[in-house]
Formats: sequence, structure tokens, C-alpha cells
Amino acid sequence: MITAGIDIGSITAKALALSGNEILGSRVAFTGYNPEQAAADIFGALLAEIGIERASIGAVVSTGYGRNAVRFADRAITEIICHAAGAYFQDPSVRTVIDIGGQDSKIISIADGGRVRDFAMNDKCAAGTGRFLEVMSRAMEVPLDSFGEMSRRSKSPAPISNTCTVFAESEVISLISKGVQRQDILAGLHESIASRIASMAARIGVAAPVMMTGGVAKNGGLVDALERCLSVEISVTPNAQVNGALGAAVLAAGGLEKK
Amino acid sequence: MEAMEFLRGVAADPHAYARKWKSSGGGRVVGYFCTYTPDELIRAAGCLPFRIFGSGGNMTRADAHLQSYSCSLVRGGLEEALSGRLDFLDATVFPHTCDSIQRLSDIWRLSACVPLHFDVVLPVKLNTASAGRYMVDVFKKFRSDLEGATGTGIDAEKISEEIRNSNRMKRILAGIYEARSADPLSISGGDVYSLIKSSMVMDRGEFIGLAEEVLAGLGPGASAGAGSLKRIVLAGGICSHPDVYSILERSGAHVVWDELCTGTRYFEGEISEKGDPVESLAARYMDRIVCPAKHSDIYARGKNIVRIARERKADGVIFILLKFCDPHAFDYPYMKESLDAGGIPSILLEIEEKLPPEGQLLTRLETFVSTL
Repeated sequence: MITAGIDIGSITAKALALSGNEILGSRVAFTGYNPEQAAADIFGALLAEIGIERASIGAVVSTGYGRNAVRFADRAITEIICHAAGAYFQDPSVRTVIDIGGQDSKIISIADGGRVRDFAMNDKCAAGTGRFLEVMSRAMEVPLDSFGEMSRRSKSPAPISNTCTVFAESEVISLISKGVQRQDILAGLHESIASRIASMAARIGVAAPVMMTGGVAKNGGLVDALERCLSVEISVTPNAQVNGALGAAVLAAGGLEKK
Repeated sequence: MEAMEFLRGVAADPHAYARKWKSSGGGRVVGYFCTYTPDELIRAAGCLPFRIFGSGGNMTRADAHLQSYSCSLVRGGLEEALSGRLDFLDATVFPHTCDSIQRLSDIWRLSACVPLHFDVVLPVKLNTASAGRYMVDVFKKFRSDLEGATGTGIDAEKISEEIRNSNRMKRILAGIYEARSADPLSISGGDVYSLIKSSMVMDRGEFIGLAEEVLAGLGPGASAGAGSLKRIVLAGGICSHPDVYSILERSGAHVVWDELCTGTRYFEGEISEKGDPVESLAARYMDRIVCPAKHSDIYARGKNIVRIARERKADGVIFILLKFCDPHAFDYPYMKESLDAGGIPSILLEIEEKLPPEGQLLTRLETFVSTL
């Protein structure tokens, strides 16, 4: 059976089609103002790309913050459960998932069989998430895609003391005006995010192996900082950003045991 | 059910109830923050005890007096007073509980413009004989302070009558809890919340009449579908968040019991109707399950939450703690460990008076419920 996962996140929408153990294709687009429309659009685009009729898709599971807006889905499942399922599908040995998306950051502890054992999630504040990095990207005129590579050139990361997005931005601006190098500011930002994630992770404990998922996993500089901060190796797969949609497609296929 | 509809209205706007009670010749309204307030003495003085639940609105005035690391109940309560929304209060009572409430008492006395002010300096350790004797003295002093301030004598028979009324109310609320535990679909979590909240702000006789009607209407027998719901116990201090119940119910779970100040800690433990009424009252406040600002056996709350979860066949426990509530936050780790040791799953929601965005909360609760 071919199944699909639709992950409507706060910034990006992801869709993925799965046939057995094979990923047929995936797409990423901005969610924008209307999550329902975004879901319909990205699903249509995915079907067109892989050349499959809607009727050939046996089951659709939606996830992400807009999951309940996806009317054509057969079921809505939280992104925490889907990220655990996606990570387990990619590597059944994974015991901890760090998922950093547009507005949420989550630490998910995985039990045998890919089930969620425990989780921690940021609450009111979006500091240290994708949106935080977007704000910094604008302040420093560095494209997000260059954050990882540029920060890795830093020899002495600048200390960033504020964890609030708005105050951190003004702190960054004052560092810029002091002439601190951009790579040092970037490395400092990554360290401040890593320590924030580490304190959340300490609440539930981090068991190896660890996988990072979500759009922010594409930032290698942050992954490095997290590895140093947590003293653990972190794997990132090419499917990191669509991992939630992957998990949704896996669960649409009838769960983890039947894989 | 008309009775339930009325109680929902009181819970949604307790201020309107208190104003109406007062204007229809009821007497004085006495605000209080905490269930260690011996409200039976206040009622015996002919006054209406009115629990203050903080403010549902934005803070504009309270933050000039209190640090941002005070809990939203304390800040919200002060906000209500400073904004004039509590101008129907004739008095406020502050029992000695957490640090923030004590300091709020000082700020309140100076800034809240409520004519009468009482500090009831309770003992902190509640498991010693000397504390028991001290508690009796504290209540006697509160009784005479009330008499002096209101110019009304509080005779022993009036106190005994209020004790009997309290016990009636406790039995009714316990009955409603039992009915819900037996059949979680017999009453919504939001309605139980409305019952508890209105019991804390209403004339007791009037509340008893309405709550009895609600209890009588619950009827026996389990509803279809109740068996597939996950059974949840709520733990913490004040839960003044009716939306939590509807979100949980949407997630396939139902609250079957609680360990809350706005719940079992308030109504469990009847008061002896024999002997000196003030001594009986003091004994009940000594014996009740402690709140984290008080001390009895160091493991009392941990044992209690495990006992509740077992007795109520709970699938999981949800701790709802107000952000910046130190006493609850310090008790949480060992209570969670007690549950872990008993194999009972739990989750912590640290919230303020205003809930986080619904999507966020729904994601957490749905995930937790689906792991049970």
C-alpha cells in the first residue's frame, strides 16, 4: 500500500509518500496563512511529482501544528509521535530524537518499537527555534543555509547571554557594532541554542543513539554545538526536515510493527 | 439541568454573584486566597467567603508591586484588587502559606483599599501536638478578630451549624467525584470545575441546594464508550482552566479524580461535629492532606498521589503547576518519582493563569494520552 504523510508545521509544510520501505518522494513548501490550503497544495504537488493518482494512496496521516486542518487526512497524529516513528523507521536503534522546527523544539525519548517513552517541549518561548534563526539571519545578513558552514570557521564563539529572541537580536546587533566577526556571533548563537536544548533534554535524559530532525537539523553548526554540549554523537539524515511527514506515512501504513 | 447552568454562570463570573449577594442584603464579603482559610468561621459571622482566583485579563497594575517571578495567581489577584474589580470586598483573609501570599498580604494591606484585613498565622508543621494546640489558638484569635471587626458575636452554635453545612457540602462534592469516577462521561470536567469554583464563592446553603440537584441528576450506570477513555488524575494547586478539561476530552481522556486545592484537598476530610467546634475545625485543618506550603510526613503527598492513582485506576497523572510556584515545583520531583516507582505515567504542564496557545497544549496532551 502507498501511504502519505502531511506535516503542516508553523513555517513549512511537508508531504511524503511511502510504499513499503521505499520513500517515493517528498516536498517542502511554506505553510503561509492558510494551513488547509497549504496541505491541499503540497499534497497535489507531491502526487504530480511522483506521478501517482490520489486514488492510489491508501491512507493519509496528517501531523504538525496544522494537523487538524488537513480535512482529507484519514487521521491526525501529533508530531511528537510522528517524529519518533520517522526516526525509528530510518534507524530502529535511535533512542532520542531532537526535533527543532519553526517554533517548537522537542526532545523525544523512544522506547522499543518506536513508541514515545517521554518527551519535553518548549512552552511559551520560541527562542532557539527556526524562527529565532530566521530573525538572526536577517540581523546579520547571512542566509540561513550558510549558518552552519560559516559558524564552523569560528575560533572563539562570542558569548550570547540572552535567550529571548528579541533581546538576543539586540545583543547580536551590539556585537556587530563592536566589530565582532560574523562567524563568531553565529557560533555563539549556536552555543546558546545548544545550552537551551540541553537543559530541556536534562529533564528527560538523553540516551544514545541520538538523531536530530526538523528543518533546523540542516544547520550543521548547530548540530556540532549540540554534540559538544550534550557530549553525544548526533546523526542527521537527508530526510531530517521531512521526518515528521515520514513518520506520519509510516503510521498511515499501519504502524511500526508491520514495517 | 437548571442548577448546573446556574453554577456555570457563577463560575464564569463570580464577581457578579458576590455583588448580587451583597446588594440583596447579604452582608459583608470576605476575600480569601487559600483553602487553609477557615471559611466556616467567616460564614458563622454572617459573611460570604469569596475565593479570589486571580485575573483572567492582562496585567497592567500588579507588576508595579510584584516581581515577574511571582506566580500569576498572586499577580492576578493583586491586579483584580488594584483595578477596582474587587471593590465589593469588605475584608480579605491571608492564611500563612507560601512566601508570595505572605508578601502579597503586606502589599494588599497598603494598596488594595479593602477596609478590613486579617492575617491568620497558621503553623507550618502540621504533625505535632504543639502545632495542634497552636492551631486552635490561631483559630480562636481569628474568631475574636472577626467578632471585633464586624461587631457580630460568633457563638459556638453558629460555628457548629456551619460545620454541619460544610460536611454536607463535602459529602455532596465527594458524591459527585465518586459518580464521575464510576462513569467518567456522567459529568464533564468543565462542570466539575464549575461546581468546585462556585462552592468557594457562594452562599453555602444555596450551593448545597443546587449541588444536590446536580448529584441527583447524575444517576447510576456507566455510559457507553466510557471504557475506552483514558483515566486521568490531575495534581497540583489551583486549576482554574476549564479549557484543560475540554482539550483532554478531545484527546480521548477524562479526569476521574484530582489532587488539587480546587478539588479534593478542599473537600476531603469531614469536620467532627462533636466537642468544641473551634477545636474540631482546627483538627480538620491539621489532618487534611497538606499543601506543599505545609509540612506533615515528608512523603505524605507522594503517598497520597500514588494512593489516588491506584484507587481510581488512573492510566496517568497530569501535574498542572503554576509557573513560579516554588512550593509545588519543589515537591514535584519526588512526587513524580513516587509515581514512577509505582509504574504510573505522568506529565508536567507548567502554566500560567492564561493557558499557552491551544495547539501547543493539545499536542502535549494528545501525545501523553496516546502513550498511555
